[in-house]
Amino acid sequence: MAQQANIGELLSMLDSPVLSVRDEVTAVFKENLSSDRGPMLVNTLVDYYLETNSQPVLHILTTLQEPHDKHLLDKMNDCMGRAASRLPALSLLGHVIRLQPPWKHKLSQAPLLPSLLKCLKMDTDVIVLTTGVLVLITMLPMIPQSGKQHLHDFFDIFGRLSSWCLKKPGHVTEIYLVHLHASVYALFHRLYGMYPCNFVSFLRSHYSMKENLDTFEEVVRPMMEHVRIHPELVTGSKDHELDPRRWKRLETHDVVIECAKISLDPAEASYEDGDSVSPQVSARFPHRAADVATSPYVDTQNSCGSATSTPYSSSRLMLLNTPGQPPQTLSPPSTRLLTEPPQATLWSPSMVCGMTTPPTSPGNVPPDLSHPYSKVFGTAGGKGTPLGTPATSPPPAPLCHSDDYVHISLPQATVPAPKKEEKTDSARPCLHRQHHLPNDRGLEELPGLKGSVTLSDLPGFLGDLASDEDSVEKDKEEAAISKELSEITTADTEPLVPRGGFDSPFYRDSLPGCPRKTHSATSGPQGTSVNPEPFNSSLDKRGPDTPKQAFTPIDLPCGGTHESPAGDRERQTSLETNILTPSPCKIPPQRGVGFGSGQPPPYDHLFEVALPKTAHHFVSKKTKELLKKAKGNTEEDYPPSTSPAEVLDRLIQQGADAHSKELSRLSLPSKSVDWTHFGDEIRTLRNQLLLLHNQLLYERFKRQQHALRNRRLLRKVIKAAALEEHNAAMKDQLKLQEKDIQIWKVSLQKEQARYSQLQDQRDTMVTQLHSQIRQLQHDREEFYNQSQELQTKLEDCRNMIAELRLELKKANSKVCHTELLLSQVSQKLSNSESVQQQMEFLNRQLLVLGEVNELYLEQLQSKHSDTTKEVEMMKAACRKELEKNRSHVLQQNQRLDTSQKRILELESHLAKKDHLLLEQKKYLEDVKVQARGQLQAAESRYEAQKRITQVFELEILDLYGRLEKDGLLKKLEEEKAEAAEAAEERLACCKDGCSDSVTDHHEEASGHNGETKPPRPGGARGSSGSRGGGGGSSGGSSSELSTPEKPPNQRAGLFSSRWETTVGEPATSIPTTVGSLPSSKSFLGMKARELFRNKSESQCDEDSVTISSLSETLKTELGKDLGVEAKTPPTLDGPHPSPPNPDSVGQLHIMDYNETHHEHSEG
Amino acid sequence: MTEDSQRNFRSVYYEKVGFRGVEEKKSLEILLKDDRLDIEKLCTFSQRFPLPSMYRALVWKVLLGILPPHHESHAQVMMYRKEQYCDVLHALHVVRFVSDATPQVEVYLRMYQLESGKLPRSPSFPLEPEDEVFLAIAKAVEEMVEDSVDCYWIIRCFVNQLNNKYRESLPQLPKAFEQYLNLEDSRLLSHLKTCSALSRLPYDLWFKRCFAGCLPESSLQRVWDKVVSGSCKILVFVAVEILLTFKIKVMALNNAEKITKFLENIPQDSSDAIVSKAIDLWHKHCGTPVHSA
Repeated sequence: MAQQANIGELLSMLDSPVLSVRDEVTAVFKENLSSDRGPMLVNTLVDYYLETNSQPVLHILTTLQEPHDKHLLDKMNDCMGRAASRLPALSLLGHVIRLQPPWKHKLSQAPLLPSLLKCLKMDTDVIVLTTGVLVLITMLPMIPQSGKQHLHDFFDIFGRLSSWCLKKPGHVTEIYLVHLHASVYALFHRLYGMYPCNFVSFLRSHYSMKENLDTFEEVVRPMMEHVRIHPELVTGSKDHELDPRRWKRLETHDVVIECAKISLDPAEASYEDGDSVSPQVSARFPHRAADVATSPYVDTQNSCGSATSTPYSSSRLMLLNTPGQPPQTLSPPSTRLLTEPPQATLWSPSMVCGMTTPPTSPGNVPPDLSHPYSKVFGTAGGKGTPLGTPATSPPPAPLCHSDDYVHISLPQATVPAPKKEEKTDSARPCLHRQHHLPNDRGLEELPGLKGSVTLSDLPGFLGDLASDEDSVEKDKEEAAISKELSEITTADTEPLVPRGGFDSPFYRDSLPGCPRKTHSATSGPQGTSVNPEPFNSSLDKRGPDTPKQAFTPIDLPCGGTHESPAGDRERQTSLETNILTPSPCKIPPQRGVGFGSGQPPPYDHLFEVALPKTAHHFVSKKTKELLKKAKGNTEEDYPPSTSPAEVLDRLIQQGADAHSKELSRLSLPSKSVDWTHFGDEIRTLRNQLLLLHNQLLYERFKRQQHALRNRRLLRKVIKAAALEEHNAAMKDQLKLQEKDIQIWKVSLQKEQARYSQLQDQRDTMVTQLHSQIRQLQHDREEFYNQSQELQTKLEDCRNMIAELRLELKKANSKVCHTELLLSQVSQKLSNSESVQQQMEFLNRQLLVLGEVNELYLEQLQSKHSDTTKEVEMMKAACRKELEKNRSHVLQQNQRLDTSQKRILELESHLAKKDHLLLEQKKYLEDVKVQARGQLQAAESRYEAQKRITQVFELEILDLYGRLEKDGLLKKLEEEKAEAAEAAEERLACCKDGCSDSVTDHHEEASGHNGETKPPRPGGARGSSGSRGGGGGSSGGSSSELSTPEKPPNQRAGLFSSRWETTVGEPATSIPTTVGSLPSSKSFLGMKARELFRNKSESQCDEDSVTISSLSETLKTELGKDLGVEAKTPPTLDGPHPSPPNPDSVGQLHIMDYNETHHEHSEG
Repeated sequence: MTEDSQRNFRSVYYEKVGFRGVEEKKSLEILLKDDRLDIEKLCTFSQRFPLPSMYRALVWKVLLGILPPHHESHAQVMMYRKEQYCDVLHALHVVRFVSDATPQVEVYLRMYQLESGKLPRSPSFPLEPEDEVFLAIAKAVEEMVEDSVDCYWIIRCFVNQLNNKYRESLPQLPKAFEQYLNLEDSRLLSHLKTCSALSRLPYDLWFKRCFAGCLPESSLQRVWDKVVSGSCKILVFVAVEILLTFKIKVMALNNAEKITKFLENIPQDSSDAIVSKAIDLWHKHCGTPVHSA
């Protein structure tokens, strides 16, 4: 509670007049807000604000930070629910959102929005509705994407309110409807700008109903005349409009500008940068021009510029430049202007008419003006007529221009008012014209006026202006003027011509403000009010040289006037009216930005409010009526085609005028009485004020948006400038670099040249070298060819040499051959010679022999028979004997051969036999071993048997012993013993037999002891064998000694016998002996035997002896043969051993060998 | 060369690479195919390689002279042997030295005694030490050979060989044992000496009985292959190897009696390894017997 109280205190302190205290308290609140998150403080603040309307609290509330936004919104939502607090809540909401808090995006989700919409749909209080609509319009660009949910609400609201405008529910004051209408108009613009497709479809559906048709005709259609076709209607779709992506790219002010772009209302429409604005403006004006007369104004502009324009321009210059300015000074500019137009024209065609038109547009005005003014002067019709021309847009343009001029003369505008009250009082258009007229006509008037009329005096003038009668009169006059104007507009072709002339003045205006400055200097008496003007203008002129700026100076005075008299309320209102009057120009918002920084806001909105001016044909009547009702002024003549906004403007001005008049009439003390007296009226006025304030705030918001945009554009401009600078720098650099490049190129060319030179040199060198190489190669090939030739030659030579050699060889061989032949031949020759000699010799011999023969024949014949027979016999015998011997020798030789063959045969046979014997021996050995094995087994068996018997014997003996021991049982045992004996005897018998044989055998075996001879069956044979063996071995030595003697004899005998046999019967005996196999008795057989013996008895040492003895025997035999040859063979026939028996030859096996051996050894 | 052609040509390389006994059976078969068996070759073979068990009995019989080298006479000789066996057995039955209940080993002993003329007067006479040896060997052989005739003959001839052929060399074995043990592990020898166990080692068991009863028959066979083929030195190496194998245990024992006792009852599980190692050792020290032919 303490805190509550504390807060209450603080709140009360917040409104304290002391600035420092207020600041402190504000700081405390902010601190609290930052520390406390609860909704209480915010609620309290809101409540307090609703109660007191305290500005500091409002300030605090509008700057609330994030966590409190929800509380604030909730609180406001609550307040909205209550009818009493609805209006303040709405205004608070308006304040809050106009400042665009960082949490504005939450608005779409907040429950406040639906409740606001609901309020707008349900509420019947026009003030609330107007305020709500304005808030809604302000809010819409901030939450464009939320439109999706509430789109139909928006449209419904529009539908409802638009019908309201027409139907005017009973209790509503008509004057409010003006406000409402203005706000509906704004809503229309906003909705059409943001959601064209949806909105249009809504309109289509909504106004297709019959009951709404009136509304459409009366309210909506005029509105539609102030908008262009939205491009989205062509390219977009209903869904695309609501696509959040579309809105994401756009900021709030973007949206606002987007909407403004659509507008054709000069008050509403906005133009982007210099480029974009001019076309738009031009687009509009040319239109009108075209409407009137499509003839090319460009041409006119070019051609007729100077002559016609100059007077106007000069006059305007005079207007613009304050009286102190001598016309001479202006003349150079004017000439410049004259020169400039060509430039402009040069420039304009390139920019297309759109670009050039803005400057020309003012040109449109002067003719309008000039005519009107002249006419106005006469008829006092003025402006009303052009406006009066039904619903066509063209009129606004001239109006606008005229207004511009009015603006310029604004400060003075008030001045002539007193002089010509009738005109100034009633309607602004009239006023303007009036102002212009003086301007046009007489320059001398203005200086005087300006000098005389100060701002402080304004209220006074205004007060005069406010008189009712005057206004009525003026209305009438205005109607007349409007008629006249309409006439003029029909004949609009004319005004187009001088347009070009008016181009120039504008350019001059836009020229650097030296004249302005001088003007400012000279216009010292005007004081503060005038001073800001040039600065501002100059400031503006620094911007792009667009036609806009040409207009700027017109506005400036207003700014100046506003600044100075800020304090006074009355003055303010008067200024408002003043400003409202010239309002038409679309520039003010933009101007406002320019001023924004320096000017205090309270009156700013007035300019903005002053915007709407154009086209409101259908509303005009109503507004007139309204005005009449509200202020008692009948304004039937009021130009019909004005936008709701303008109507509102007028209303306000009139209201203000009335108010100021009242105020001036009433003394201060009586004021309160008046108010109570006029309570009702005052309430309406208050409400109106409230509405106005709302409107103002809304417009301010718009202005701020524009300001934002302007700043951005300015930034862009600066950037562009910087970029241009940069571009220039880059260009310079580029040039430098190009220079460099050039240099480099030159050097490159040089280098290339050098390089090419070098290349050429190199090429030449290369070609030279190549040629050399070719030469050398050629040489080489030649040499090679030569060498090859030489080689071929060489080979030829070699071949030749070889051939020659061959030939040589052949020749040699031939020679040899021939030599051989020669020698042969010589031999043959010698042979033949010798043969011849022999022949000769033989011939001779033959001769001799023949002679001898003859001699012998003679002898024979002489000797004859006795001796010849004997001799013959002898000879025959001798011959025979010789032949016999020869044949004998032959025989002997043959025998020798055969015997030798025989010997060879026998030797091979012998070898075979040896081999056989060896095998046999091996086999024998084998068999022996085998037998021995068996024998051993048998022996062991025998041994075993022996052992067995021994054991048995032992057993028996044992048993005997036992028997003997056992005396007692003798008898009994005797019988048994007998039986046993019998058994034993049996055993013994066989044992004896066995043992005998065994023993014998054993003895024999032991006797032989290692003899390899196999045991012979039968003891005699074995013993004889063994004996023989023993004898053999003993007698071996003796026989060996004897054998050498014995066999030779035998052999000799044999030989001799053979010899004899062969001698005796050579043909028969010899083959038999030769064919017979060697017997054991023969020499070979003996030798074989000996060899066997040697082997068997291993007497190798005596071999040599036997062999030597053999050779001896052979020798002796030979010797004997020779010696005994003559001996008679029969002598030794006796001892000749038995002839070789075929048996021995056949039985040539080992047994046989043994036998023969025995025989031999025996023998 | 003809043998070789029949053999696998790879056999030469098997040994080089370290496989042993791959082709032994085959080569042995080749050896046994010869008519008139070459005793020397068989000896060398059985010294070099372990005999395949299926031919062991045959080879032993041949080597011990139970069978002659000629295949022809085998049947006859075997018949003789059998008859002899039967006769002796019959005689023993007759003199009631043996009965059907007599253990086969004792039968063999009695038969041997009878054949060698040493049959005691009564079977109840106490057995001589050499009879004990015989019994041990007989027991071992009985395990190895199935046929009782073969068995008896092998026992008989084996014992005869020990008694005749190795009569001189057997007493030398202890010395040789000492020598080789010294070569292999002098520390062990010195330990034995310090324990004065060297002289009390079971030499009888080792050398007289040829490890019969000491090693299991399967291992014993391989030792006896060598003994039968004429080398009693293998016994020494078996003994050395036994000591080396059980070195740790022997070293742990300080008492000669304990050592002897332990050695008399060595664990049988490692006998195969012992024998293999012993053969290696034997080959190492005495060189691999090369075929004299």
